[in-house]
This record gives sequence, C-alpha cells and structure tokens, in this order.
Amino acid sequence: MTRFVARRVLTAIPIGVIVTLGVFALVFAMPGDPLRELAGDKPIPAAVLAAKRAQFHLDQPFIVQYLLSMKDIVTGNFGTTFAGADIADQLRLRIPVTLKLTLLANAFQWTLGLFFGIYAGFKRNGMIDKSLLLATLVLLAVPGLVAYFAAQYVFGVELKWFPVSGVLEGFPRSYLLPALVIGLLGFAGLARLMRTSIVETVNADFVKTARAKGLGEQRVLWRHILPNALLPVVTFIGIDLAGMFGGAIITESIFNLPGLGQFMFQAIKLKEGGVVVLLSTLAFGSFILINLAVDILYGILDPRVRNV
Amino acid sequence: MTLGLALALSACGDGGSSASSGSGGAKSETIAIAADPLEYINPLNENGSPGIQVAMAMFAPLVTTDPNTGKTVNVLAESVTPDKTSQTWTIKLKSGNTFQNGQPLTAKDYVDSWNLTAQGSNGWKNNGFFSKVEGYEALNPPTPDGATPKPTSVKALSGLKQVDDLTFTVKLKVPFSQFGLTLQYLGLAPLPEEVRKDPDAYKRKPIGNGPYKLEGEWNAGDDIKLAKWDGYKGPNAPAADAITYRFIPNADTAYNEFLAGTVDFVDVPSTKIKTFKTDAPDQWVTSESSGANYLVFPAWDARFKNPKLRAAFSQAIDRKAFADLVGLATPATGLIAPDINGYRADACKVCSFDAGKAKQLLQEAGGFSGPVNINYNTSSATGQIFAEAIGNMIRQNLGLEVKYTGKQGSEITELADTRKLDGLRFSGWGHDYPSIEDYLTPMFKSSGDANFSGYNNPALDKVLAQGDAEPDQEKAIALYQQAEDIALADLPLIPLYAKQNAYLHSAKIEPRVSKYVGVSALYATFK
Repeated sequence: MTRFVARRVLTAIPIGVIVTLGVFALVFAMPGDPLRELAGDKPIPAAVLAAKRAQFHLDQPFIVQYLLSMKDIVTGNFGTTFAGADIADQLRLRIPVTLKLTLLANAFQWTLGLFFGIYAGFKRNGMIDKSLLLATLVLLAVPGLVAYFAAQYVFGVELKWFPVSGVLEGFPRSYLLPALVIGLLGFAGLARLMRTSIVETVNADFVKTARAKGLGEQRVLWRHILPNALLPVVTFIGIDLAGMFGGAIITESIFNLPGLGQFMFQAIKLKEGGVVVLLSTLAFGSFILINLAVDILYGILDPRVRNV
Repeated sequence: MTLGLALALSACGDGGSSASSGSGGAKSETIAIAADPLEYINPLNENGSPGIQVAMAMFAPLVTTDPNTGKTVNVLAESVTPDKTSQTWTIKLKSGNTFQNGQPLTAKDYVDSWNLTAQGSNGWKNNGFFSKVEGYEALNPPTPDGATPKPTSVKALSGLKQVDDLTFTVKLKVPFSQFGLTLQYLGLAPLPEEVRKDPDAYKRKPIGNGPYKLEGEWNAGDDIKLAKWDGYKGPNAPAADAITYRFIPNADTAYNEFLAGTVDFVDVPSTKIKTFKTDAPDQWVTSESSGANYLVFPAWDARFKNPKLRAAFSQAIDRKAFADLVGLATPATGLIAPDINGYRADACKVCSFDAGKAKQLLQEAGGFSGPVNINYNTSSATGQIFAEAIGNMIRQNLGLEVKYTGKQGSEITELADTRKLDGLRFSGWGHDYPSIEDYLTPMFKSSGDANFSGYNNPALDKVLAQGDAEPDQEKAIALYQQAEDIALADLPLIPLYAKQNAYLHSAKIEPRVSKYVGVSALYATFK
C-alpha cells in the first residue's frame, strides 16, 4: 500500500507541472492588461505602472513569470495580490469557507442521493422510483445560475428563512441555503447512478448464488449487494468532490461567500496569473488526494483491485 | 428528511434581518458596497470608488462642494489663495484640528504626505495628481520599459513649501486656475507622522481626521465598522452615529440583500434599472447625472478623418431612443455633464437626430469604405446590446455595413493607447473635481491622459492653456467653453448620453440628494 501511495504521489508531480503550466499559459494569453483592469478607465501614471509591473514580475518573459510563481508556491512566500491583499491571509480566511460549503453540500447530496438511490433501486417501478426519475430529470435540466438566484430570492428575500448572502451568521446558518441548492442539483446524478447500480447488482448471478446458498436477506444486502453496488458510486463521489471547487466559483460569487471560488473568480477577472496558478495547484493537490482516498476505499470494498 | 433538518436549523436563527437596525435606537446605517472588500485604508494609494467612499467618512478634505449651492467651501483649509498668475497657491489650514490619535494637524503633514505619494517608486495610485507640481520629474525619473523604478535621492517636490505650522504653498509647473477645486479630492488626505513612517503597519488601522473613526479591530475581508469621532470640527458633519460598509461583490446579490432588509443603502445594478421602482416603491432616489458617455472615433484611422463624416455619424444616432434603451439617461447635447458650472444645453449643433442630414453629410464627406467596426466591453452586461443598438442606427440611417468586436475593457484601452484599435469604442468620463476643465483637459488636450480618440488640435490646447491661466473664474469658463466649441466642431468623439444613477434606501434614512454632488448615503438624515 505504501508503494502504491508513493507511486501515485510521484506520478502526480509531472502532471502537476503540466497542469499549472497550462493554466498559467491560459491566463497569460488572456487579452488585456491586468494593471489597467485594476484601475478601470482612469489613467495610471507611468511611474506607478512601472513600479507595480516590477513588483509582480509582469515585465518578465512568460517562463520566468511561471517559475517565479512556482517558486513562491513551493517556498510558501505568496506575497500580495495586485490589489494589495496578503495572499497567505486570504487563504487562511477562505479555505475554511470553501471547506464548510463543500462538505455541507456533499453531506446533503450524499444523504439524499444514497438514500433515494438505494430505496428506488430496491423498490423498482414503485411510486418513489417513478417520482425520483421525474424529479431528477427536472433537477438535471435546471441551470445552476438560475437555481441559485431563484433560491436566494425565494428563501432569502421573500420568505427570510435563510440569510441572503455572506457569512455573518456563521456556520451552518449562512451556508445552509447555498449548500442545499448545490446538494439538490448534484443529488440527481448520484441517485440515478446508485439506483441503476443497485438494480444491476440485485439481478447479478453472485447475488442469486448467495441467496441459493441460503444466506439471510440482511447478509446478502450488507455483504454482497451494497459493497458491489457502491463501487461505481465511490468513483462518482470522488470525481464530484474534486469538481466542487469549479462549482464554488459561481455559488460563492452569488451568495457572497468569501471562499476560494470567489478568490479564483476575482483572480481570473484581474488576470492574476500567480493567484490562479496557486489556487489551481491547491485544487490539483486536493484532486490527487481525493483520488488516492477513492482508490484506497476501492481496495477495501473490492480486494481484487488491491494489487493492480 | 435532510430538508426538514435544514429548515429546523434555520428556524433557530432570529430571522436574519436585523443586522442593520436595532442597537438601542442609535442612528446607525449599513451601506452596501458592490465590490471586493478593501485591503487597506490609505486614501493616498486609493483612487477607486469603494476606497474613496470609505475615505470620505474617515478623512476630511481641504475644501468641498456645498451640496446646496455648488460653491466651493472650506473644510480643513482656512483659505486657498492663488497668486496673480494662478501658478503658486497658498493654503492656510484652520487651527485646532487634530488627527484621531490626538496629534495636531499641521502643514507639515500635508507636505510630507504629498511628497510620499509623489515618489514614483512607492507605486501609490494618486501619484499622478502631483504631476502638475514643480519638481515632479525629479521624483519620477523616466524608467526604461520593464525596469523597476529606483527610489530617487530627491525626496521632496521642489514646488511644495511649508511656510509655518499652518501654511504651505504649492508651485505648479504651469498656471492652473482650477487648482483650488482639485483640493476637494480625498486622495490628498494627510497621513500623520507615525503612519508616514510605516504605512504598511497602519494599513488596517488608519488614523484619519474626518467625522468617523474605525470601531474596533478590522481584518482583511471584514466589513468596515465606523463610529462617530468627536474631534471632527469641520462643517456639515453627517448625522449617523455609526456606519457599517458592507462589501458584497455581486451587485445583484447586494440588491437582494437590500430587499431582504439587511442593508440600508445600495446602488441599483444595471440589470435592475427597469424594475427597481416597483421592487422598492418610495425607497429609491436617482442622481441628476454622473458624468458623460461618448462614442469615440479612432483619430489614427484615415477613414474617419473628415469632420463631416463624423458629424454624419452623430446625426444618424437617435439619442432619445438610445437613452431609453440605457434607461435613466438623458440624451447628450454637449461634451460636459449637465451639473457642471459652464454647461450649455445646446452646445452641440450636430447632436440632433436627422437621418436625411446624416446621409447628405456622408455623401459630402465622400462616403465611407469598408465595414464600421464597433468595439464593446465583454465584461459589461450591456456592452453588446448598446453596440448593436448604435450599429443598427448607423446601418439603417447611413446605409453602412457594421461589424462588432467584443473585448476586455483593458484591452480596448491598451489598443487605443497604442493607436491600434480598429473602429469605434464607447467611453465615459466622470469628473474628479467639479470643473468644466476636468471634462476638456483629460479628453481633448493633445497630452490628456483620457484622450481616447488620439485627438490633437493646437488651437484647442492654446485656449485651454489660456483658461488655465485666467484667475477670474467667469472668464476662465468662457475660455473653456471656446475649447468645447472647437472640440465639437472637430468631433473626435460623439456625445451620447448623461447617465443618472439610481439607489435604494431603507425607510429609516433619507439620503442626501444634491444636483452638484449626487446622492450620498454617508450624509443621510434619519427619520
């Protein structure tokens, strides 16, 4: 297992370099001058522009800028944003916000998805199953942007059940509404996958064999059906968790949650290559870690993959 | 099941709508700012709206515009006096004013703070203000492209002189009759000595000299909570005892926060211009004007050279219809915003819609070759809509082919600066100080720093210089109006509309609305 983990981490390094280099190149290729963007239409004196350009290495060639950014990340010397924000401060402030939002949203999504998926899988073609199919179809068709603003207006502005935005009321109150909407939008895919997986497993030969051997229903369910039906779902959950960061860019902006997604949004808007690469590295790192966890979990659920 | 839990949890709260009200009947208000939270409070390194808005509460200017009369009145200055040529200005401070740390406010604080900002290597945003002062170049030596500006051995502007404790003089490079008006800018606020020594150490605990001071700790990302400061002795102090500036980057979300009752004042975002009056009946105000908006020709493109052609474009545009599309806008008839002293309602002779005249002018100019390209800002929600509206008018009324290019705003500015922009672009200008001159110099002087069209006419430069050197304000305005007429005859850009701003305010406050200084939540009265 140790060798497996070490191998995975080592192979992640060259991929990480390629990913961050690619992201940096994309930001670099974006049109417009970030320092001018910062100032809007107002002119900035040449002396100030030159001072800022030098401070942020914007006068250096692309590859030097990239290497300097990577050096800052590796040495933990993050510096400040163009607007003067201390980046280490910002991370300390923002990582907990995104973690709280992501974990709460996933808690909703997993509870709902697994519960309804498993139930519908066992009671195929029942009322719950049919309503689930319809409900997930509707949810999958709603664009996130519309759902977020609609939820904010209905539950925040009109009904006043939740704060409209911000984190003034702390955890979990300030996070409930956005997390619920993300969870609901995301639960559809999970529930459908879970249902299909259960249906397939219930009819599989090994389940029939287990029953034929005279095993009790409880034992068949817990030892044979669920571990096998959960395999594809674990992969899905892993990818989904790692992908939450991308979704946070929109949610955090609309609900004014000062998390990493909002930070990323500002950084892209202002063409702050260093910050974008730093956040991409963080996202990439967590992606690797989550995938590693998924693989280990896979090994526990299915001993056959342990030595692959 | 989970939904039920969430609702039960949320029911434990207090309804979530009492953030701004309460606190024992004290006059307090929460002002929403649709921008990212500030990173520091230092007016000298801040030229954006959120920073200056907060600076207005915490720092006092030398002079200000009286909201009722539009006249300049003294705040911290006892007097501001030009010499006979308007080149050297003597500023005398009122005695007895202090900073919020108790130190007396002296002329030295101004001279030293301004010198600090004028030092280019500090990279402070209001550096450019001092380019008019004698000796600016010594603190801002030209830096080769890509090099870091080195701190100079010269640390002081030769044009700044302290005379005594409360008096200092500013010698300008050339006469400038409007200099007194520029002193109301809060980017010129003085910093006390301990802040000047280590500005970074004070970036989150500023020491101001205005009506409000920071209440308690302020950390990165926090809202800014201010309490009234007793030491402010200037005229017209605001009524609120406490003010909270709440930063909500998404403007639509800020608007929703207002509707939910958690903030007392919010800007109406462009997406709500059509609905705000019904969303918040009796709780909205609009400002008379917030500057002027233009369509700019590229002077470097020979196809646009003929003034007759530019007049044809101008008369092909139905400004009334366009202003209706923009919403809360007044069709423009001159280059100056309507609330400025010296504005003339009928200054532009070719700003009326006349399709027949437009076609005739186009013919006289010899037509136009190739499609007309209209550049618009992709980061603005309405950029493309406005571009297409103008494009349709040009197509229908002049029979020209039109195409559109969406770009980032900063890219358009950069291309225009390097004379590479292809076609028309939109631009706007709002004055930094209430003078007709502040519309003409930046946009039309050949060396103007907002001269987006690349316009250059020595005759206009000359009249502007005469206005700058004319100490009599009435005569100066007449000269500036001559400059406006020259610009209108050449028409390097077409005035389109003057935009009004709209704001929502809660029932407990009444924002100050002034023809001269716009709408202010800071100076709201309480019911």
